[in-house]
Amino acid sequence: MTATPTPLLELQGVTKRYGANTVLDDVSFTIGRGEVVGLLGDNGAGKSTLVKIMSGVVPMTSGGYVWEGEPVAKVTRPETERLGVETIFQDSALIPSMTITRNIFAGREITNRLGFMKIRKMDDITTEILDTVVSIEGIKSAKQLVGSLSGGQAQAVAIARAVHFKRSLLILDEPTSALAVRATEALLNYLVALKGEGVSSVLVTHNLHHAYQVCDRHIVMNHGRKILDTRREDTSVEELTAAVVEGAEGVERFRLDKPLAQA
Amino acid sequence: MSTQAPDNPAPPTSPPAVASPGTTPSATPAAGALALEERTTKRRLADSRPTTRLGQLREDLSFLRGRGALEIGGITAVVVVAFVVASLVAPGDFPFLNQSNFSGVLSQSIPVLAILAIGAGVLMIAGEFDLSLGAVIGLSAIVFIRVSNSSGWPIAFVAAIAVAVGAAVINGLIVVLTRIPSFIATLGMAFFWTGVSIFVNGLTPAVFNPGVKTETMNTLFAGDFGWWRTQLLWLVGVGVLVWFLLHRHRWGNKVYAVGGNPAAAAAVSIKPKTVRLQAFAFMGLMVGLASVLIAVRTSGMQPATTGDYTLLAIAAAVVGGCSLTGGRGTLLGMIIGAALIRLIENGLILGKAPGFYVQLFVGVSIVVAAVFNKLMEGKAT
Repeated sequence: MTATPTPLLELQGVTKRYGANTVLDDVSFTIGRGEVVGLLGDNGAGKSTLVKIMSGVVPMTSGGYVWEGEPVAKVTRPETERLGVETIFQDSALIPSMTITRNIFAGREITNRLGFMKIRKMDDITTEILDTVVSIEGIKSAKQLVGSLSGGQAQAVAIARAVHFKRSLLILDEPTSALAVRATEALLNYLVALKGEGVSSVLVTHNLHHAYQVCDRHIVMNHGRKILDTRREDTSVEELTAAVVEGAEGVERFRLDKPLAQA
Repeated sequence: MSTQAPDNPAPPTSPPAVASPGTTPSATPAAGALALEERTTKRRLADSRPTTRLGQLREDLSFLRGRGALEIGGITAVVVVAFVVASLVAPGDFPFLNQSNFSGVLSQSIPVLAILAIGAGVLMIAGEFDLSLGAVIGLSAIVFIRVSNSSGWPIAFVAAIAVAVGAAVINGLIVVLTRIPSFIATLGMAFFWTGVSIFVNGLTPAVFNPGVKTETMNTLFAGDFGWWRTQLLWLVGVGVLVWFLLHRHRWGNKVYAVGGNPAAAAAVSIKPKTVRLQAFAFMGLMVGLASVLIAVRTSGMQPATTGDYTLLAIAAAVVGGCSLTGGRGTLLGMIIGAALIRLIENGLILGKAPGFYVQLFVGVSIVVAAVFNKLMEGKAT
């Protein structure tokens, strides 16, 4: 579990401002190849903005995005897609008025040379990945409109899409919020299994138990700053909780209070 | 602590599986691992897929329900049957099946409106409107007539289409670049394009010079063959091409995605602005074609007289199931919507109802159709 010499992704001093409002302030960290990184923090800590920047949906105000040692000049969604980054967004980023198949393949349709879609083939693949990747309780057909699905089912479709297209980095923004217990467990196990394929993942969650269960490393955000970046072996659910709830002071207090407990 | 109460505690079952991340066997196909234990007991999606052609057709039809075209198609069929019966019972009082009336409605007024509705409808699916559609018809028709007079109809045809596409792209650029709602931007542009056509032509009608309107031109754009006219062929051609473009080509998928949820579309590398601009250009193409059909049939065009087409086209699209908020609509729906409006209009005229009844009907039908679409949105499967 030692980090590879060249990390898969390195963020250098990422800052994001909306007008006078600084949402992310000089955030730097690395994600190793095959590493599962937990990104934690309370509401408004800047996690979702960080996810959007990492996936190329939102541009950063300043900072560096280094992929396998090569700086990426302009981090756009087409660029991150080329690098093999897939994201499951918190709001699942699906189109309610389209079928499951068309959602999964939106922007990446399987077509012939003239650009006409092979719908039958896309339906087959959709059925296949819904059957193998996620729990599909209640989904009747790949031709169903996403707008007619429940929150958990829609989340499953979003997960299926990201899992199908990911090649190097899978980012999950609160993926378990709408999932049933068993589906959540299956998803967490899947992240661990992904390491075997050399695929890294970033798990953004409120649920510290979920994160602690599977992540190799934990990064805690507070008011747009990184306040803790620690390997799983060096921390505990209690310390992470203190960091998330109380911020930097929490980390400080925790380390002062329990120096012996660590040893 | 209390603010961080986890929504469910760590699952008691099989914690060691995840607690030792480094030892996961890499040989296991990762995707398979996810649903491993459930697969044996649960009904798989693949098992419930229809295997026969008939089964596939039935599935397709069941998922078509609630997407607009089916319901409005039923209503239109009822109207047609009623008209035919009325015409058979009382041919004198209600001459719907009279040759010139029949072909005038079925292969002239319906096709022209349907082509416009396809333009307006595709743009609506992309989430935009163009209220200057009618004004651009006038401008484009004037260009067609005047260029025909000077350079012949083939060049004029290209010029008319180019002007309509150009005007639509300018409208689109204003909407896309300034992020002004297209309702406001194109409302303003409607006056602008009307002004441009008066500036170009003056207030007197543009007419073809003697001899300009050749037999070929007339046959091609407004040929009358008794029971049917050339415009119907144009609609069939446009309809087939656009059906493939909208429902089977990846461009169509992008249009639906951008209209349905622009942020989600952007997250999968679709460029909403580009797609919207393309949808404007597509509408311009339809408007240009329709304007030529109108110009040849009427043999002249007076500026500022085509404004009515705007709301008729949008009404046809809405009646046909296009959502006012984007992302929903079908090609067949747009054509049926245009047909229904023109049929009712014809019925009112044949029934000798006063002219304002048509406007009354169109107004009511937009509202009713919009409410209906809204209700259907929740029920669609």
